[in-house]
Order: sequence, then C-alpha cells, then structure tokens
Amino acid sequence: MNQTEIKSAVVAALKSVAPESDPASISEAAPLRDTLDLDSMDFLNFVIALHAALQVDIPEADYGKVRTLNDAVSYIERKLGTP
Amino acid sequence: MRQAIAAAMARSKREIPHYYLSADLDAGPATWWLEHENAKRGPPERILFAALLLKATALAAREVPEVNGFFVDGSFRPSAPIHLGVAISLRQGGLIAPAVHDVDRSSLAEVQASLRDLVARVRSGRLRSSEMSDATLTVTNLGDQGVQSVFGVIYPPQVALVGFGKVTERAWASAGMVGARSVVTATLSADHRVSDGHRGAIFLSAIGRLLQQPEKL
Repeated sequence: MNQTEIKSAVVAALKSVAPESDPASISEAAPLRDTLDLDSMDFLNFVIALHAALQVDIPEADYGKVRTLNDAVSYIERKLGTP
Repeated sequence: MRQAIAAAMARSKREIPHYYLSADLDAGPATWWLEHENAKRGPPERILFAALLLKATALAAREVPEVNGFFVDGSFRPSAPIHLGVAISLRQGGLIAPAVHDVDRSSLAEVQASLRDLVARVRSGRLRSSEMSDATLTVTNLGDQGVQSVFGVIYPPQVALVGFGKVTERAWASAGMVGARSVVTATLSADHRVSDGHRGAIFLSAIGRLLQQPEKL
C-alpha cells in the first residue's frame, strides 16, 4: 500500500467521525483533534475505523504519534512495513 | 436548536432551586487500571474514562435515589431505571443529551459500546427520538476541552446534573506528605425541592469511592 492510498484511508476514517468536515482539505501539519474538533470518543472511532480499513492497531500509548495527517500517514506506513 | 436550549434552560433556572457541590476525586487507580486494560485490547474493545465515570455515577445514583428521576406536578417521582443522558456537543453548534439506558445494570463494556454507538449516531444524524427524551439523570463531561469543573443547569423535569472535568495531575497532600496524583473534579447541580447538600455530598463521595475499585465497575 503506497502513501497516497494510506492518506486516502486516513481521510476516509476522519470523514466517518466528522461527516460535516472536509478532511481532505486540512493542512497536513494541522493537529487533527483541534482542527476537526474531535473528542476522545471521536478519536477512538477514528482509530477503530483505521483498524477496520487497514488492519493497523494504534495503541493508546502511540496516540501522540498520530496527531496530524502527516504523522498518521508516516506512522501507518512504518507500521505496515512499506517504505 | 439554540432557541430550544434557551427555553429549557430558562425554565430550569426559573423553576428549579439549584444547589451546587464540587468534590476532587482521586482518579489514580481508575487511570492506571484503564491504561493497563486498554494496552491489552484492540481498538474496538478499548474503554474510555468517560464510561467508567458513567458507570460509577449510575451505581452512586442507586445509593442516593433522590438524584435520579423527575419532578412533575409538584412532586418528585424517582425512577427505578437509571438512564444517563450524556451531553454531546454538536460541531454545527448546540448540544443534545441522548440517554445511555440502564447504565447501573450494564457491564462496563456494554456502557462503552452504547456510548460509542451514541456518539457515532449523533455525528451521522441517526438518533432515535426515544433516546432523546427518556434520560433520568444527565452527565456532562467537559474534560476533553481542558475544563477543570462544570456547574451545569438541570434539564427539567430531571432533578440533577453531574459534571466532570479533565483528569489532571495535581499536588495532593496526604498523611503529611505532598505527592502528585491524578484527580478529577466532580460536580453536582441538584434540585433543592428534592434533595439537599448533605445527600448530594454522599452521592459525590459514592462516585469517588466506586472509582477506587475500577475492576468492580
């Protein structure tokens, strides 16, 4: 899975928890929770959506590593083992 | 939406003689337990601190039934079922408080699943109308926004509202020593026609006690 595919999966997961937003348009370096106004439950639903779509498990201890769109894409890339 | 909130809150402030209490609760054991539990669980099985707070609140409401029910036609009607209204803010503005049903009789995993489902359906606009109207006690949790405490306005005809702030590490003196401890501030807004500060205090203290044994929630 390449970077573009991962990014579109992350955007789709964000869209599922914040349907009224346009996650594709947010800056890649913007903090997701503040920018999209995600509470803890929205963020958990985002992590669950990624788990379902990509079979990637982001442990709670790693939530700090997926704060932005960029961070999330690189984190998942590393996790999936694709350069 | 804003008009409906305004009407309900104005009625509440006009008719309900509110009193307010606040208590700092030791959140250490619940925080550690949850971290440890969630590390063993995949994302769909993870539990949020909010679910622990709901369960503790419901069990405490069993002990102090004056906070759970409705004030109708000049008298209090306690409710046997404990359906907790959960205040959820809408991104387009306003808030709603649909109910998680029978929280006291549900397992923690069930409370978490109901809460998660509720938030997802609020976001996608797929709530059932029954969920909007049958809460017996409301809980508002503003911890995500970094707020330390919230003194809410009771949603009539309910007779109490419980608020939780952010779990923070604070200096905590105990047995002559000062240490750092995870603390959450719980507040109660309650109806003086039904209960008084003494019973309210017992209720908040029960929540604090129940949180010390999270594995039993």
